[in-house]
Amino acid sequence: MNADTRPDPDKLLALIRTDGGESASGKRRGRLKIFFGASAGVGKTFAMLTEARRLHSEGRNVVIGVAEHHGRAETLALIDGLPTLPLREIDHRGVRVREFDLDAALAQHPDLILVDEYAHTNAVSDKGGGSRHPKRWQDIEELLDHGIDVYTTLNVQHLESLNDMVARLTGVWVKETVPDAAFDAADEIALIDLSPDDLLKRLHDGKVYVAEGANRRAAENFFKKSNLGRLRELALRRTTERVDAQNDALNAAQGHDEAATGDKILVLVGPDALSSRLIRHTKRMADRTRAPWSALYLHTDRHETLSPKARLRVEHNLRLAEKLGGRVVRLNAARAATAILNHARQNGFTRLVLGHSDQPWWRRLAGAASLSQKLIERGAGLEITTLNADSETSANPRDDTTGWEIWAARPRHHLMAAVIVAACTLLGLPFRSLTDPDTLIMLYLIGVVITAARFSIGPAVLASVLSVAAFNWFFIKPYYTFTFDDVSYAVTFVVMLMTSLIVGSLTAQLSRHARLARKGESETRLLYDLSRQLSAVRGVDNMAEVVVRHLEPAFDADIRLWTGERQIAGAPLDEAKETGAKDVGVRQWVMQNHHIAGRNTDTMPSASALYLPVMAENSPLGVLSITPRTPDRQFTGADLLVFETVASLIAGAFQRARQAQDAETSRVESENERLRNVLLASLSHDLKTPLTIMNGSVSSLLKMRKRLPREAVDELTSLWGHLARLQKFVTNLLRMAAITSGQMRLNLEPYLIQEITGAAIARVEPQKGARQIRTTVSGQLPMVQIDGALIEQVLINLIENAIAHTNEDGVITITLETDADRVRVRISDDGEGLKPGDETRIFDKFHSGKPATDRDGSGTGLGLAICKGIVEAHGGMIYAKNNPPKDNAPTGASFIFTLPIAK
Amino acid sequence: MTTILIIEDEADIRRYLRATLTARDYEVLEAPTAKEGLQKLTVNRPDVVILDLGLPDQDGQAFIRQVRDWSKTPIIVLSARDRESDKVEALENGADDYLTKPFAAGELLARVTVALRHAAQSPAGATEIIEYAGLKVDLAARRVWLNGDDVHLTPIEYKLLSEFIRHRGKVLTHTQLLKAVWGRHSSDQNHYLRIHTQHLREKLKDDPLSPTFIFTEPGIGYRFSDYLP
Repeated sequence: MNADTRPDPDKLLALIRTDGGESASGKRRGRLKIFFGASAGVGKTFAMLTEARRLHSEGRNVVIGVAEHHGRAETLALIDGLPTLPLREIDHRGVRVREFDLDAALAQHPDLILVDEYAHTNAVSDKGGGSRHPKRWQDIEELLDHGIDVYTTLNVQHLESLNDMVARLTGVWVKETVPDAAFDAADEIALIDLSPDDLLKRLHDGKVYVAEGANRRAAENFFKKSNLGRLRELALRRTTERVDAQNDALNAAQGHDEAATGDKILVLVGPDALSSRLIRHTKRMADRTRAPWSALYLHTDRHETLSPKARLRVEHNLRLAEKLGGRVVRLNAARAATAILNHARQNGFTRLVLGHSDQPWWRRLAGAASLSQKLIERGAGLEITTLNADSETSANPRDDTTGWEIWAARPRHHLMAAVIVAACTLLGLPFRSLTDPDTLIMLYLIGVVITAARFSIGPAVLASVLSVAAFNWFFIKPYYTFTFDDVSYAVTFVVMLMTSLIVGSLTAQLSRHARLARKGESETRLLYDLSRQLSAVRGVDNMAEVVVRHLEPAFDADIRLWTGERQIAGAPLDEAKETGAKDVGVRQWVMQNHHIAGRNTDTMPSASALYLPVMAENSPLGVLSITPRTPDRQFTGADLLVFETVASLIAGAFQRARQAQDAETSRVESENERLRNVLLASLSHDLKTPLTIMNGSVSSLLKMRKRLPREAVDELTSLWGHLARLQKFVTNLLRMAAITSGQMRLNLEPYLIQEITGAAIARVEPQKGARQIRTTVSGQLPMVQIDGALIEQVLINLIENAIAHTNEDGVITITLETDADRVRVRISDDGEGLKPGDETRIFDKFHSGKPATDRDGSGTGLGLAICKGIVEAHGGMIYAKNNPPKDNAPTGASFIFTLPIAK
Repeated sequence: MTTILIIEDEADIRRYLRATLTARDYEVLEAPTAKEGLQKLTVNRPDVVILDLGLPDQDGQAFIRQVRDWSKTPIIVLSARDRESDKVEALENGADDYLTKPFAAGELLARVTVALRHAAQSPAGATEIIEYAGLKVDLAARRVWLNGDDVHLTPIEYKLLSEFIRHRGKVLTHTQLLKAVWGRHSSDQNHYLRIHTQHLREKLKDDPLSPTFIFTEPGIGYRFSDYLP
């Protein structure tokens, strides 16, 4: 099978997930169903409520979050009886507004919640306490993230990608929009279709809500048959496209990827209104071929000359692209065409979309090619689509052309140009009679160069013109007129104007390039310095200190850092202030949702600061907040990019700090372990050496028993016995020390339990006296995966324990058998049995502290505790019980342990 | 006369060992350090070395490796009970046997006897016929009988048995057996060794619960019975 057509497990999994499986965070994501219609009045809310009632009667936990009934009786009848969430009252610019209560919905956590009007814009209170998200679709995203199913309604004109099309079809611009990605991510779309005739009839019957007052006329304009027909067509088409896309996604996941064209589209975005049309056009184009697409903004030198308003429009356009599912790319470049083509080729784009505007006459005259011409000329292999700016775009109320803004951008600069020219004139006046006036042209040229270098091309052009005028007025006879005696000065003026224009524009361009390079360099330097300084310090707190010290001057903002709830760096936040209290909420939201929020974002934009999660490998390490020192400063998308890079730098540093700490901890641990081992080994040596010697001496003495008095022999025999007990005790004590300090390393090997049992029996041979040790093996035993020496010790301890509690003629029975995936060993004796309650206590270390209950004869009660420690370290179980009594007489005790079978 | 060299830093233990060994008419040499031990080993050429692993001036394992470079003198290692890994390491470095502290005099003498017998065995011993407890092995003809009946062994089982018999009375670690039977590169195939040893035991009717021939030394290896002639 071809590798390209094999079902992709990841894609299939992702599809299953969107079918209501686990979300990436492990929680189940809620299902979203959208009741979709061509316009208001088709009965979306009605259909949604009807279905909700049915589910409610089936016993599902359904809650109404918002349902717009507009006071209509039949809708109210449907709402009646369904549990309804109360709305929140918000003070919105002095007006009480009622909004959906997201936090109440999250707290109540119903199975299904109804939230009408997907495209609704929330009232954001300036004083806090307003909605968290500016848009309702974001509220719904959060509900889905928390595993709550949502029903909502949507009209086709609210879809972002169709926004301009709807406007052109109906002449009405809709402000409230929903990103297509949110629409496409819905699990189910129910198209509520009604023919325009029926809808108009309903409207006529007063069954459709129409706004009051001035808006009424607009609304009535909207409800024209032709409009309704077009909207209906759009809604039907969009629904079909979505169904197609779903099928295609399924096909692609299963390996039948016929529809994929391999296209990749790049759209060029600027500050103009045409750009938003280009973006929407690209989105629709990309949807048809299911091609990925990006929006590119070039930071050329021209960006520097843009007015703040124009820059805001750039951000607006880029955000629109993001909302429509495109990727946003910003490039710093001086040569537009080269940069665009390089980017497109390096990233495999197949198509370019850009706007075409006519060149100004003077550029055309100079033979300068427009950007689109250059691209078409040099973009071999690329499909290039150009859209002409047409009258329609200017119908867009968002649109006001940039034109003069660039020139009028900085009136102060133009004033300065005039001042510089005046200064040159004053400087030249004393020399008027001393030198040829032509020489003074140079003086003006210097002025133009200074103006161009200091400001931009606009002031430089002004300076050129003013220079010529001033030169004529002050230095050419007759003075203080614009006339001249010598006709050849006409040539001089033209040459002077052209020279200063050329020199000025060249200088301006050069200095702009230098500024651009400096800006890019300063960003790089900032990041480089930060990372260098971060790597020089140790510990999260010190790193946070470096971040604050380094970034506050660079961003001209207050920087704060938190890990969890603890603020680790930056000026303390005045939480008593109202904004402070609200910011705490934003910070906690960021920590939980791992998403950027606050100032200049889509989430809680009224916060005073911007909050970024500091993330490492999907786990949040902390939160970074940036509060601009000038309150009206707005962060641009480019700023956010830098901030995000900084956040990821911090995350990397924090993670390194954490790893270093972990390594240090484990180093200390291993050092401790080594010390413990040395201690145990020397203890073992120091205790055992004298014991060995004593043992040897006593046994040598006992060899001479014939020559010794009887009392001495008795004493020696007793000493011999005590020595044996002491030896066992020391062995047990050391073994126990190893077990309790966690130093026991299991050397696991496959063994037959019979061989270990045989070795243990041989070892206790000297102690058993006249007692019998019987063994029974039931069936074929599999091998066990054990530490042979330790399990031998368990068996020795248990057999010795049995020996200590049986009479001289007692019988000890060892039974070996399998039990499912374990091997079970049972050591039974026929002694007096266990006292009630001892079954479990007997395995405790020094249990009950009374030697009276000691069963292992070593005087410590350690032997059985060791058995428990060893068996449990093997993943086995150990327990004791009395044998069933016979004729009311005890029949001894059994000690049983199990061991896992070797794989 | 048989000479035994005791390398041990504890004077009392040396005294105890000397008392036990001289009672059996062995000549005893003592060395408190590895350096002196090495000196006496070169000069006096003892028949057996008893070595404590915890010496003040050199690691016992290194000492064994150093001696094995040039000498085949049997080495019996003294070690604590709960350090199986030390024993395995010592055996694999070339020690012949080990004694667990504290040990009884009888145990010590038995180990010395086995070590001396091994040292005395000539390579020509491979041709002998061995009989013990109903088991008869003809090493030259590569044939095995149990109670007069032919025992059919696979080549691996036979290799294992002959390895055991050649080193009877001595502990062989799992790694040593694997190397001897399968060659160098199979040290971690422990499971095979267990299975083949198990088959061999079955064919020799040797119950692991009360073995006659093959004894398990838990955590270390196997020891073949040394009550053979």
